[in-house]
Amino acid sequence: MLRKEQNDLLTQTGPGTPMGNMFRASWQPALLAEELPEAECPPVRVKLLSERLLAWRDSQGRYALTDEFCAHRGVSLWFGRNEENGLRCPYHGWKYDHTGQCVEVPSEPTESGYCKKIKLKSYPLVERGGVLWTYMGPPDKQPPLPEWEFAMMPPDRTFMSKRLQECNWLQAMEGGIDSSHVSFLHSGEINRDPLFKGSKGNQYNMGDMKPVFEVVESPGGLYIGARRNAENGRYYWRITQYVLPAFTMIAPRADHPVHGHFWVPIDDDNCWAWSFDYKVTRPLTEKEFAALRAGEGIHVKYVPGTFRPLANKDNDYLIDRAAQKRGETYSGVWGIAMQDASLQESMGPIVDRTKENLISTDNGIIMARHRLLRALKTMEKGETPPGIEREHQRVRSAAVVLPPDQHFKDAAKEALRVQDGQSHATV
Amino acid sequence: MQSESARMSSAAEARYRIDAPNSKPRAVKVIALDRPSERVVTDLARRQWNGANFFTASAFGAAPRQGESFAGWLSDLAGRTKDLIDEVNSADLVVMIAQAGENAQAASIIGEACSVKRVMTTSLVLGGANVSDETLSKTLSHLRPWSLMLVIASAEDYIADMLTALRA
Repeated sequence: MLRKEQNDLLTQTGPGTPMGNMFRASWQPALLAEELPEAECPPVRVKLLSERLLAWRDSQGRYALTDEFCAHRGVSLWFGRNEENGLRCPYHGWKYDHTGQCVEVPSEPTESGYCKKIKLKSYPLVERGGVLWTYMGPPDKQPPLPEWEFAMMPPDRTFMSKRLQECNWLQAMEGGIDSSHVSFLHSGEINRDPLFKGSKGNQYNMGDMKPVFEVVESPGGLYIGARRNAENGRYYWRITQYVLPAFTMIAPRADHPVHGHFWVPIDDDNCWAWSFDYKVTRPLTEKEFAALRAGEGIHVKYVPGTFRPLANKDNDYLIDRAAQKRGETYSGVWGIAMQDASLQESMGPIVDRTKENLISTDNGIIMARHRLLRALKTMEKGETPPGIEREHQRVRSAAVVLPPDQHFKDAAKEALRVQDGQSHATV
Repeated sequence: MQSESARMSSAAEARYRIDAPNSKPRAVKVIALDRPSERVVTDLARRQWNGANFFTASAFGAAPRQGESFAGWLSDLAGRTKDLIDEVNSADLVVMIAQAGENAQAASIIGEACSVKRVMTTSLVLGGANVSDETLSKTLSHLRPWSLMLVIASAEDYIADMLTALRA
């Protein structure tokens, strides 16, 4: 459980909030690059960390992420005319450049220089790995660009999607580090899904329903090891990475692409679940790309023209009670992502953690909250939170079989770090 | 018409969640396995808890022979001897605290008692960053067979956070 004030502290990410400041200390995924495909393309409304923004590209193709609303009368610039290196409000013609600087107020004499006094808030927007990243913190503290391994891959080795999740970021993120639910909630999928099935690890997963957990602090967050019995007294370890504030990476299975998430607050009641898959040692196959685009694995099918999952709260997640009875899905909801999201959204927009009854297998979640709260305290003293340094980002999840006397943190030390050009440790 | 899921997962509906206790207090027994951990546990015991009890096993010797009592193999923080089996019998969760590099062999005796009684065990190792990997591994090797959850924490205040989270 958390006290109400702690729950508020961790779940509120708007401007000026401590947790919001933590998100604003690092680069966050804001849009898929494909959402702004070319110069003067239609602008895209973006809400991040409870701020309404507009993403667009000017005539030179430069990216812009600016306040959504015209400084004059508050019109949404989504209706703006994207023309000649600027976005012009269609109401009275005020025009802004890609930095948010107003460059024209037609009703004022040019000589008055009035437009120079008008500037919309703007944030940097940079493409890396098919994702447009933004940094929403103080400009003088802008860190180097993100170096997550998936984002450094050539395009044929990486795939990223995003989906709307209609609950607070923390309850979504906590699902990403909760290894013990896999043997239940996803038991149908890990043997059916083309991006999961066929691994030896799945057999261990299903053969030992009572994993034993080890949680170890890492420089950027946590290693969460789930240990199951393997052959000859050895242990099968699945090691999840958590990097503050909102990066989680699931242990790989066989030769399948490796996957993970960012859980980025839209506002306090909604978040973006960013989901990536990648392979270091080979391009993804056409079959894999087809499965990823079709919403298999940790991805979803969408309501056409949106990033809202096709199975969503408005259609009761297309729950299939007959499939549940037949044993094809554990919860009746299809697909790994929506199995998680349906349950997390059912808690309400922000779950009341004063009412929960955690048990010792929830130590990954307890420790993650502890680390977040501790990082907030150190930020008060002016320190940088974890997750920003390059080494905190150059991490991997791993699946390994180890002798019983070996500590995974030591035995899998190399496997938990990026090793350029080398495959992930997988079972 | 709005679906059941859409309506019931709204913030407006969340306020109708029944506001009544949904659990009974758990009996959590926190045991220091060595002298340095005893200090940590003593500090913890001074705080307000929902019935958590604090002990030390730092005086543990070898395991009692078959037929011998476990009385005296555990003591509370005032130095009164306690019977390990009695304490485990009345526990929902046993938390063992060990300092990396110290002797954690008592874990096997406590762990075995918990295993027989089907009581959940969690072990916390402190000071892992201050010792060599080899030393840490040795401590872990004592704890691992008897811990259903093992946590290596860099800060002592994690234990208090964890116990609070578990409603100890």
